[in-house]
Order: sequence, then structure tokens, then C-alpha cells
Amino acid sequence: MTSPSLPSDPISGGPMSRGPKASSAGSTPASALLGRILAVGLLLFWSLGPMVWQLYTSLRTPEALLAGWAGLASGWTLANYTQILTGDPPFWRYLLNSFLVGGVSTLLTLLLAIPCAYGLARRSGALRLVMGGTLLATAVFPYVLLFLALLEVARHFGLANNLLALCLPYAGLSLPLAVLLLQAAFAELPPELEESAVLEGLSLLQRLRWILLPLLGPAVFSTALLVFLFSWNEFPIALTWLSRSELLTLAPAMARIAGSSVYTVPYGAFAAATVLGSVPLLLLLLVFQRPIVAGLTQGAIKG
Amino acid sequence: MSRTLRANLVTLVLIAPALLLLLAVFVWPMGYYGWLSLQAQSVFTGLEPVPVGLANWQRLLGDARFWQDAAQTLRFSGVSVGLELLLGLAIALVLHQRWPARGVVRSLTLLPWALPTTVMALGWRWIFNDPNGPINGLLQSVGLATLPFLASPQLAWIAAVVADVWKTTPFVALVLLAGLQMIPADLYEALALEGGHSWQALWRITLPLLRPYIFLVLLFRLAQALGVFDLIAVLTGGGPAGSTESLAVYAYLNAMRFLDFGYSATVMLGMFLLLLLSALLLLLWRRAAEA
Amino acid sequence: MTTPTPATSASVTVTSATPGSSTSGSLRLEQLLRRIGTRTIVDHLDLTVEGGDCLALLGPSGCGKSSILRLIAGLDWPDAGRILLAGRDITALPPVRRQVGMVFQSYALYPHLSVARNLSLGMEMRGVPRATIERELDRVLVLLQLEELRGRRPADLSGGQRQRVALARALLRRPQVFLLDEPMSNLDAQLREELRPQLRTILCGGSAPVVYVTHDQQEAMGIADRIAVLRDGRLQQCGTPQQLYEQPANAFVARFIGRPEINLLPQPDGSLLGVRPEHLHPVGEGGIAARLLSREWHGASQQLLLSTSYGPLRWVCNGDQPVEAELRLGWEPRRLHRFDGRSSLRLPD
Repeated sequence: MTSPSLPSDPISGGPMSRGPKASSAGSTPASALLGRILAVGLLLFWSLGPMVWQLYTSLRTPEALLAGWAGLASGWTLANYTQILTGDPPFWRYLLNSFLVGGVSTLLTLLLAIPCAYGLARRSGALRLVMGGTLLATAVFPYVLLFLALLEVARHFGLANNLLALCLPYAGLSLPLAVLLLQAAFAELPPELEESAVLEGLSLLQRLRWILLPLLGPAVFSTALLVFLFSWNEFPIALTWLSRSELLTLAPAMARIAGSSVYTVPYGAFAAATVLGSVPLLLLLLVFQRPIVAGLTQGAIKG
Repeated sequence: MSRTLRANLVTLVLIAPALLLLLAVFVWPMGYYGWLSLQAQSVFTGLEPVPVGLANWQRLLGDARFWQDAAQTLRFSGVSVGLELLLGLAIALVLHQRWPARGVVRSLTLLPWALPTTVMALGWRWIFNDPNGPINGLLQSVGLATLPFLASPQLAWIAAVVADVWKTTPFVALVLLAGLQMIPADLYEALALEGGHSWQALWRITLPLLRPYIFLVLLFRLAQALGVFDLIAVLTGGGPAGSTESLAVYAYLNAMRFLDFGYSATVMLGMFLLLLLSALLLLLWRRAAEA
Repeated sequence: MTTPTPATSASVTVTSATPGSSTSGSLRLEQLLRRIGTRTIVDHLDLTVEGGDCLALLGPSGCGKSSILRLIAGLDWPDAGRILLAGRDITALPPVRRQVGMVFQSYALYPHLSVARNLSLGMEMRGVPRATIERELDRVLVLLQLEELRGRRPADLSGGQRQRVALARALLRRPQVFLLDEPMSNLDAQLREELRPQLRTILCGGSAPVVYVTHDQQEAMGIADRIAVLRDGRLQQCGTPQQLYEQPANAFVARFIGRPEINLLPQPDGSLLGVRPEHLHPVGEGGIAARLLSREWHGASQQLLLSTSYGPLRWVCNGDQPVEAELRLGWEPRRLHRFDGRSSLRLPD
């Protein structure tokens, strides 16, 4: 047989939409299938292996961990989880804080980003061009550079150790991406839809409420998810704004756990914390895979 | 009031709140750093700002630790972003295949990207543990000596690269996958009709058409990697012997540990300038690649 | 929900008026000017449409015909000039107070709402009482035979059904003027011809002026009482279809009206001699000598392309007319059009 047919070859990146025809032309289907299973298996091992190892660790007693691979039959325990869940403050407190900050930041971001994106999408010319460039530059800006100045703001206005105040910088940092995504979505709507509503006497707010936002539902949702993920994961600002341990969000809490135990090695507790910190995101990802991917991809294509 | 004026006013009202917050969060800090970098504000001044002219900048130029950290940050960024691009492309090509449960596979591979960096850094600390981590466990079980991944200056930065590649490759892969899905399939069919090989398809169709996405991902990832902070702070704390310290960590330590705010602002601005330079080089490279 | 008495609400007095009472007035455009940047989109346009009349704005794409519609609707604003509706200057009025019924080219139906909600949303938002909404809704749903479809989403409708919903929405406003922007362009050719008489009855039966934008001369001639031909934002000629066909004001109008296109033969004096393909007939002597190049046979008629010393010549004749390879063609003098070579304006007969 001659050279393998191109569209089915994994190297070429050709889509497999014409599946049966394509796979019968080149290498035998069985070996192609095997190769693909191998590739995906490897991929899943690489992505999930470290997490699985954390899960395993979190369920083992310290002795069992030090004993290495021998004796898988014994040494299982939930003690690591009870330990961190009954700590002071209990671990779920961090999750709750992160949830609160993530939720409020997301709402605040949308509240600011939707009017801004709408205002920009309905304009053409210099304003949109300048704002577009600025938004793109700020979206890729490594925001860690801002922590000291933002800390000064917190000090000046007495915003430290205030979870709701933390949502302000979070909203500001999420705005560039959110506005870019929403602006692209607004621009994709045919303008006649809104014009038709104008002729019927709908006010700006009515148009947003009854026509535009219902149609932009998916875009708003994926934007919200990305903003939520950012707020949930943010570290340097939370690290510098929050010091009271019962107010910590997940990211600085993990760092504190890591820092507090440099000389002791409570691996099991570490791992239990990692697992508990990952589960909400795993669920979020499995349930909302599609909108999250859509948001990321839109960002790339429009950007 | 004229209608154009009214329309402009409405636009202004719509974008003003977002614009103000953006100014406060992105623009004001840079101005503040500019001012602060000309001040001494540290324990020696009683934490009060005292104008010192360009003293902080002079110190920066002669600060061996700053330049070492700059080199380390560049090395870390270059190696990890390069690896992410290669691996990300490979993963994108795999994920582009039609495949049962592709959605689930895709979301599972995305998990590392979605996790908080601090969470996953803590996880990797345990994986790299000497001698009880799984990697060293594996080395021992085949009779090799364990490796002090996080305790050796030669290995620690590699460990940081591995953790960073693990976390951010899914993002790169996803953006490139979006690019792959934009390439019309008939291009491959046309090449196949001419008898081209699959490697030729990769070189002649896939990569050239993917170039805008590759550029975008490079720009975004380089900016993020040059600002690396969370990962280093939790995985190694900058050690051993400062061998993994990044510029962001150095700036953080200057402010929060040495309480030298004026110099921290200077470090931050120096880092920002290096960043601008890298972005500029990237843009020039892109222009050259297009010509 | 409280229902105010209809007499107290301004919007109700308007919407509950019987057709014809509030909508009897002409539409006048006076020296209307619209520029975008340095480009003049609508160039000092004067037009009048009487109540109950249907005016087609006809021209190639980019001639400014849709822009005129948007100016009338209030979606864009003129740089100069006035718009008068029933004698009232509406140039400065916001769109909603102009009471226009507009059908967009894409129909602009709200994809997430049912047919009934698509129609009633505007009234709901304007605070029209529920009972009035229901009554008005029933009226247009019956008129346009949409009762069965009231619960459907636009995506589940055929092209023709979507057009009817868009029309119904325009009718619901009891408009003082109807604006239609290429309402047929999303339909296939056969459906277009079927719907034309229906559209005429619905729109032109009332007493509101109708402005109908199209680039299809056949559609314009079939539907409109009068046609305004536009080019580069400038009015070329406005008149009945017959006037435009028989007395085109310039070569552009002559070419745009009538299919196949008029023959324009350059004369030694620089002028253009125009004769329509259907007005040619074979003559024994005189006329011009022609040689047959190609022939399309349509049954009832046939279309021939001939070569002459003036250049190619189109000729349309009966399907059963015998055609020789070499022949002479002539025309009646009253069928002849003459245009100035430089300005392309019609020369006196």
C-alpha cells in the first residue's frame, strides 16, 4: 500500500470527519486505533497522573507512605481529611471564601463589562480601535506586577482583610478579557435585531434585558466561568490583602499550608488539601466543559 | 442637544465605570511605581517616602541578584514556553481527531490549567520529594539513587519547568486546537491528491496556517511566564540558594520581607521594561517571519 | 395587573385607531443629505410619496436606497434636509415617535421569542394593556394567516412564513408609513412571484405611504405605483413604471429598466441611440445590417444576439419567428431614444 491517506493521519492534523473512508485507505484500522488509544492514554496519564497520585497519598497513613509500594492492602485512612477539615480554621472555610469572592467578582465584572462591551461594539473608528488595543495589552499583562500598588490602595482605603473589597481588584483584572469576549459577541449579533426593537420603542435597558442578553446568554456564561476561575485561582493579591487566617481564600491558604510545614512532612494532609481544593474545579470543568472551552477559544480567535 | 453628542454621551456613560476601574487597576499602579522608584521608603526611613533621585535605579543596575533573577526568569520562560508549544501542538493534533468521548477527554486534559497554581504546586512538591516522592520511589525500585529535585540548584529549575509545562500546556493545546479547527479540510485533500506526505502536510499547511495562533499563544504565555510568581513561591520559595528565584518573587521579597518599598517598585519597573523588550522582540520576529 | 381605561393612555389611542384614520398623509423628503466621512450616501434628495401609494426605491447595491429608508425610520440622521410626514416635520423625532412599520431584509425576528411574543414585545414594553395587545395580535395573526404558528420560534418557520411575521409586526404598529428593505431577497424566485400580489394587497390597501427598496427592476415594476431610480445617492428619475420604460430620463435609467437590457448604439456625433430589444423587427431594406451570433429559445419568445457595425445588438422576438443568419433590423421612430454622449441625458425627441 502507498502512503497513508492524509486526512486520517494524526500528524497532519486533518479532521476525521470522513472517518471510515479515511481510515481504510492507509494503515490498517486496528493499528491506527491502537495508536490513538495509546496517544490518548498517554495524554490522560500526563494530565491526571499527578492528581491521581495526590488522591492516593491523601488516603494513605504516613507509615504506609514511607513504606513505599509494598503493602497496598493495608494502611488506608481518612484521617488526613478529618485532620484538615477539623483544623482551625477548617479547610472548607477556605473553599467557602473562594466561592464568595469568585461569585461576587464575577457578578461585579459582568455588571461593568456588559455595558462597556455593548458601548464599544456599537461604535466604530478610533475609540474602538484604541480601546481594543488597550484591552488586549492589559489582558496579557502579568498582573503580579501590580500587587504592591494595589496593596497601597488597600492600605489607604482600609480594604485589607475584607473579602468583598478583594472583589474590586479582581473585577478590574478580569475586565479586559471579559470586555473583549463580550464585545466580540455583541458585534456578532445582527444590528437589525436591535434597530427593530428601537423602532418599537424599547429603551436601552429593555433592549439589553429582552433582546440582547438573552441572545448573548452563552457568551455571557462562558465569560462568567473564566472570570470565576481567575478569581478562584488568584494568588498574589489575595496573599497581600488577606492576613487573618479565617478570611483566606484557597490559593493563599494552600501557600500557608506549604509554608507552615517546611520541616515537618504531613504529606497526607497536603494531599488531602490538594484534592479538596481540586474537586470543585473538576466538577465545574466536567459540567461546564463546553462553555469554558468556547470562552477560551473565542478569546483566541477574536484576539 | 445634537444626536451625535447624545450618542457619544451614552457611550461614555456605558464605558466609564469599566474604564475607571481599568485606570485604577492598571494605569495608576505604573504611575505610582514611577514615583515610588524615586523614593527611599524602607525601615531605614521609618517607612516614610524620602526622595532619593535615581539612587534606586543605580542600585538596580549594579544588583547582581536582580540580573541573576532576570537570567533565571528568562531561562525558565524560554524553556517552558518552548516545551509548552511543542507539547501543546502534539496534544492539539491528538485532540483534533474524531474520537468517542472526546469532550470528556478534552475537559480532563484541561484540569491542570483550571487548578489554582498554588494547589498544584503543593502537589508537585510532594511528587518531587526526596526520597519519598513517586519519582524517586520509581528510581529506587529500579536500583538507582534518588535525586534531590528541589534541593539541588541544577535540578530545581527543571522541576519548576516541568510543573509549569504540566499546568499550562492544556491552555496552549486548546488555543492551537481552535486554530486547527479553522483550517479547511479540503486543503489536506488537495495536497493528498498531489501525493504529498503527512509530514509535508504538517509543514506546508498546518504550521503556516496556525502561525497567528502560535504567535498569540507565545505572546500571552511569555508575558505570563516572565511574571511567574505563584508556582515558584509555593514549589521552591525561590531556593535552593536563590536558583529558582524569579523577578516577581524578588520584587515581592523586597516589599514584603525586606520592607524596602522604593526598591521593590524599581525592581517591578525594571521587570516591566524587560517585558516590553521581549514583547517588542516578539513583534519584530513576527514581522520578519511574515516578510 | 391594572388595566387603565384606553382613553387615558396616549399609546392606546394611537394603536386602537382604525386603519386609515390616523395614517392618512403623504411622506415628503426635502433636500435630504447624508454623508459618511467624505462619502455622500444620499445627495440632496427630493421625493414625495402620497398616502396609499407604493414607491419603489430602485438601484444597484450601494446607491443609497437602504440609507434613505434608515433616514425615514430615524435609525440614521440626515446631515441636512427635512422629512415630513402628513405635513409634520419628523426630522428630529426619535424613531419610536415616527410610527414607522419596517420590514428588514433579514426580517430581524427575535430568534429566542415565539411568533406571538415577537409581535407583542413592543406593545408590552410600551405599556399597552394586555386586552388591547391580545385584540391587536389576533387581528394581524388572522390577516396574515399566522394563527397556527403563534407558538413557534422563527427558526422553525419557512422563509415565506418569516416574511409574514415581519409584515405582521410592521402592521401591528398601525404605521403612518411602511418601509420595506428588500423583503423578498431571502426567498426563492418562485415564491417571490407568488407573494408579490399578496404583499400588494396587504400594504397598498391602506392609506399609509409605502416605501419599498429593491434592486430588482421586475419586482419594482410589479409592486410599485411609482419607481425612483437611484445611482450614487442621487435621484435619476421618479415616475410610474410606464414612464420610466417609455421615457427614461437618461441612459442609466434606460439600461436599468427593461429586460433584456436596452441596446445603446454610439452615433458618429457622439450621442447614444437607444432601442429596446423587443422593439426591433426585421425589415426588407433600411435599418441596420446584422449577423446572428447566438440564440436562446424560451418557447414563447426567443432572445438573439447579433453583430452589427455599431457593435453587438440584442433582439427579442416571438418564438416562432424564423431567423436568418444575415438580416436587417428596423424600428418605429416613436420607439427610439436618444441620449447625450457626455451627460447621458435624454435628448428631445
